[in-house]
Amino acid sequence: MPLPRRRFLQGAGSSIALPALASLGAVRGAVAAETPRPKRMVFIAIGWGVTEETWYPDKTKTGLDWTLPEGLQPLARHKQSITVVQNVFHKHSSDAHNPSMFWLTGADRYGVPGKSFNNTISVDQVAAEQFGRDTRFASLSLCSASAESGHGQMQWNRQGKPQPSIENPVAAYHKLFSDEKTPLEVRQRELERQKSVLDVVLEEARFVSRGLSRDDTDKLDEYFESIREIETRLAKEKQWLAVPKSQPQGLMKEPAAGADGRNEIRITNDLMVAAFQADATRVIGYRMPVDSLLRSLGKPVGGHNMSHYGPGPRMEASQARDRAISELLAGFIDRLQAVKEPDGSSLFDHTSVVLGSNVRSQHYLDNCPTLLTGGGAGIKLGRHIVMPDPKTPLCNVWLTLLKGVGINVDSFGDSTGTVAELIA
Amino acid sequence: MAVEAAESTPARARMEPVHREFLAAHCTKCHDADESNGGVRLDDLPLEIGDVKAAERWAKVLAVLNSGEMPPKDEPRPADEAKRAFLEVLSKQMVVARKVLADSGGVITMRRLNRREYVNTIRELLDVEVNPTDLPADEDGSTFDTIGTGLFFSSDQFEHYLRLGRAALDEAIVIADRPSKQSQRREAEENENKELRKDYDEAFASMNKATAWRVSGKPPTEFGWVDETEARTIERRDRDAVIRIGNHLKDPATLSGKFLQPLPWPDVNVIPHTVAPGRYILRAKLGYTDERSAERRFIEYGVQGDQGWPTEMKLLGHREIDGTVEKPEIVELPVTITRKGHRTFGIRDRQHNGWEAAETQHYWSKKYRKDKLSMWRGLWIDWVEWEGPFIDQWPPASHERVLGGVDLKANPGDEQARQVITRFAERAFRGRAVRPEYVTGLLAQYADRRQAGEPFHEAIKTPLAIVLASPAFLYIVEPVERTAPQASVTTVASSTPSGPLQPAGSARRVPLTDVELANRLSYFLWAGPPDDRLLSVAAAGQFRDHGKEKGKLAEEVDRMLDDDRVMRFVSGFMHQWLHMVRLDFFQFNPRLYPKFDATAKAAARREVYETFRHVMDQELPLGTLLKADFVVVNDILADYYDIPGVKGGSFRRVPVPQGMPRGGFLGMAAILAMGSDGERSSPVERGAWVLRKLLHDPPPPAPANVPQLSRFAATLMPARELMTAHQEQPQCAQCHRRIDPIGYALQHFDAAGNWRDEEYVDTYTHYSIITKKATFPIDARGELPDGSTFTGFEGLRDAVTRHEADFARGLVEHLVEYALGRPCGFSDEELVVSILEKAKGKQYTPRAIIQAIVASQEFQSK
Repeated sequence: MPLPRRRFLQGAGSSIALPALASLGAVRGAVAAETPRPKRMVFIAIGWGVTEETWYPDKTKTGLDWTLPEGLQPLARHKQSITVVQNVFHKHSSDAHNPSMFWLTGADRYGVPGKSFNNTISVDQVAAEQFGRDTRFASLSLCSASAESGHGQMQWNRQGKPQPSIENPVAAYHKLFSDEKTPLEVRQRELERQKSVLDVVLEEARFVSRGLSRDDTDKLDEYFESIREIETRLAKEKQWLAVPKSQPQGLMKEPAAGADGRNEIRITNDLMVAAFQADATRVIGYRMPVDSLLRSLGKPVGGHNMSHYGPGPRMEASQARDRAISELLAGFIDRLQAVKEPDGSSLFDHTSVVLGSNVRSQHYLDNCPTLLTGGGAGIKLGRHIVMPDPKTPLCNVWLTLLKGVGINVDSFGDSTGTVAELIA
Repeated sequence: MAVEAAESTPARARMEPVHREFLAAHCTKCHDADESNGGVRLDDLPLEIGDVKAAERWAKVLAVLNSGEMPPKDEPRPADEAKRAFLEVLSKQMVVARKVLADSGGVITMRRLNRREYVNTIRELLDVEVNPTDLPADEDGSTFDTIGTGLFFSSDQFEHYLRLGRAALDEAIVIADRPSKQSQRREAEENENKELRKDYDEAFASMNKATAWRVSGKPPTEFGWVDETEARTIERRDRDAVIRIGNHLKDPATLSGKFLQPLPWPDVNVIPHTVAPGRYILRAKLGYTDERSAERRFIEYGVQGDQGWPTEMKLLGHREIDGTVEKPEIVELPVTITRKGHRTFGIRDRQHNGWEAAETQHYWSKKYRKDKLSMWRGLWIDWVEWEGPFIDQWPPASHERVLGGVDLKANPGDEQARQVITRFAERAFRGRAVRPEYVTGLLAQYADRRQAGEPFHEAIKTPLAIVLASPAFLYIVEPVERTAPQASVTTVASSTPSGPLQPAGSARRVPLTDVELANRLSYFLWAGPPDDRLLSVAAAGQFRDHGKEKGKLAEEVDRMLDDDRVMRFVSGFMHQWLHMVRLDFFQFNPRLYPKFDATAKAAARREVYETFRHVMDQELPLGTLLKADFVVVNDILADYYDIPGVKGGSFRRVPVPQGMPRGGFLGMAAILAMGSDGERSSPVERGAWVLRKLLHDPPPPAPANVPQLSRFAATLMPARELMTAHQEQPQCAQCHRRIDPIGYALQHFDAAGNWRDEEYVDTYTHYSIITKKATFPIDARGELPDGSTFTGFEGLRDAVTRHEADFARGLVEHLVEYALGRPCGFSDEELVVSILEKAKGKQYTPRAIIQAIVASQEFQSK
């Protein structure tokens, strides 16, 4: 019986291009100015939806002639740097309680008969497959404590399995920037040990797989896949073992634990800038906390209650949150613009930023809030775009961004093409 | 009602030719081969919804008609009645299609342990509680967490299993000497009075400063005040404080104890990190003052929750307090200390959990304070102490289970390691053989750690943690052929459906081995591993009849149903079947529902489980769940329902007092609260739940993007009027005329399941300032889809109880799904009918149904 493991060795995921050490030096060296600056992508999920009445710009004013609605007011100084797209959605959406789960994939949860759950690769992971070859971390998945509501997993690999997430800024900081104090040989041995653990369970899994029916073998394949993924990661870690982690420039210090919602987002925004600056990764997904953000704004209401808003305290909480998110995004843009690249451009010019959700507001799944910024994907900024078809696939936006950052793909999810209005 | 015989023709989802005429009249003018507007063609739409593609196309038709998007405004619209009729059939057929397409044709996909089962399995194996929050919850709300196709495995999960296994072993293996019992008492007034004295001094100084300004006639800024208003306000405020605290400190009760301020601080006891893990007792001497309102008095105790003190306490339990300040009582609260677990415990007066409760300070103030010149005087505490650990055996059972028989002082080596690993793996694999090669690989891991300088009891943890991340532990493995000749595997595999609508039952079924049957049984009824007795019955081959010797299967099932472990099945199944996750969807407004706090909610949830277990234990007819003259409650819930005389936290059967609207699912606080949004009751949610769960007549899922009723939140309207918003349009009306009238009958229950005579509605701003309010009379007339009409709770309950057979069918289909770990499809018709027939003579008692499921060939095959 052919080992499933062998299949994966031939699969796309197993060929990791590892960086030649010399080229790493080049990135930091003089040559850097001549080579094109790497593109970065970041996807920020707001969790639940926005306040429909005060977040969306007036649909009758489009193009360059539009006014910032109340919920986006804190972004006024960056109006020329942001674009809001309306009338995009995922046609398969059915679940308003996990607004990040299909946001970046557009998959049909029930797309496979007999399965109660199905997902496909997310847009960030498509980018990570290419951009991740040259960095220590192919991508990052950041979120807040697991108690936070309003998201679900967000980043999904080619097999439709979720990417592991880092649940607080302190852990993210250490993963990105803290060099192990232990000597190299000890760390090498530790990696070997981890590898040998995998060998033991793989051998056992092969034995277990004997005599299984085809369905069961498919199920056990998930186990093999997981082990294979860890092996791949260990192999990459081994290659990077001797390379010290690039340190962030400026004032990025180890964050203090226990920051409240708003501060936690601010710190994470800073961490994302620092990660790009140090070229530790080029693709990041971030699920912002909802419950603790509301708490830090003094709004005594939970995320889900907030999302079921009507006029009254729940709606006020939702509006306060919209403004806080806009303010935090404005700060993030400031930071991206302040980081200068060797060629005189700014990090902002090479980064594609998306802020949004799969849920419009309350539990509606159409007109997904979509705010784009950054020059990474080369899209038109300062616009308000209302797609003529209210059922335009959100995946068209994802495809536009992928192509914009230089990923060679023809389609993504249920895309029917790129969004012409976004392309300069 | 008679059980209908299985139809011999396979079920199909099908539209009728008359529906094609509807499409022809209203759609195909623009959506045919010549003119497929929007890329949509409807002239060739097959009437049979037989595959995913057809289902998707029909779903689109359903969606655009539901939303009113099609036909376009400038085209002739179908008559309301025609549209309603068309949609009614289509949405029903889509429900059928979904079931047809999900039919697994009897194939059970191998699965890993779900999160509940993992925790239970580790507990049985190691006598240790693991904290599984890193693992996926596995309950997705649409199917059961026992269904293999829905249970995934990802790389970080593997690492979590390794880490959790390691943590469990760290807890289990204990090398310290037997710890001696210690205790520590803290007098409650010690810090409290120091703090209060400080508050008093500060208030006194600031009051004097303000008074000095007032009598001086000089500008307020000279005294450091911003303006006159500030000086006057603060003088007034601090004079009150001086009187309040001053009086309070003169109260003799504050010299020997403290009054617990209901918000925000619970009184705290800390067990030092230096003492050994184990079972401890917290004691407190306390009592209520007569200033506390006269209702029954409960305290809660717990540990710090996710959001930290004081906003959320993770509750461990409650106690009713009969003691007073004059005659305090001593309560004993059992707690368990783990190596890394919480050691800070809190006691507080019962109240809403979470930071939304902060909004209700004024509510508590009314309860605890005579006037604003008094301190809160609700609960008085004399002292708090802890004592422990209480030890049954040393080394603890957890240690013995792993390292029993190994003398750690005698420098154990490879041979002992091999024995420990083998024995552990055998137990972890639940009767599945452990290969010597596997043990050798694990032994190498042990040897490596020894070489790195670790002692035996540390080094052994590495291989044992690997066992807990190995597939034979994590998966419920049921190989078809032990030796797996290629051909027979292919036979089975090729007959499994590769696409939708494969004829069912064509796959060759193989009987489970006895050990596999023991595992399937125990994960069904205990959500955990088989115990030694079950495995030994399996090993002796005693499940099935052998000649004259009768098989012990039914006897074992009875034993398992009588064991306390059965509550894991009851709670896991009921929670998912009845969709009780809804109970956690919303926070209940503490102002409107002050008594529906976390403790009441937990008790209300448990009432559902305990009632099912009682009906199962006592072999009562299944209909008892629908209508009963008793409730199964504890002290908290009895208080909530206003049933006198129930003392203590354990659940017991209590007769429903004359005229009280309780007894059966429809009178349970948890069920009623699920049909609300934490503010208002929802006849729609309640009606749909009754259709789905009790009448087994599920309405089609709500179409996406329907207008939400919260848009009316600013207008005061009675619920019934609000609901008629659903009836505005034919596409909504076709479902809601079946759903809403059921819910109306329950309108005498508010959002938290309390009885009410009229409906109170208000709008409010932050800090609970009410802006508008109104009360409306309740119209509790209702109707079932079968045409029976009734009024109120009792009328609905009687009407639903007449559908006991439908209820039984719903339960059986869901139990089959849960027990077999696969969808219960149309191909299971015969199985379902035979189970119902067997159980019918016994009035569908849960026990009879479960016995019939276990006895079925499907349950015993793989």
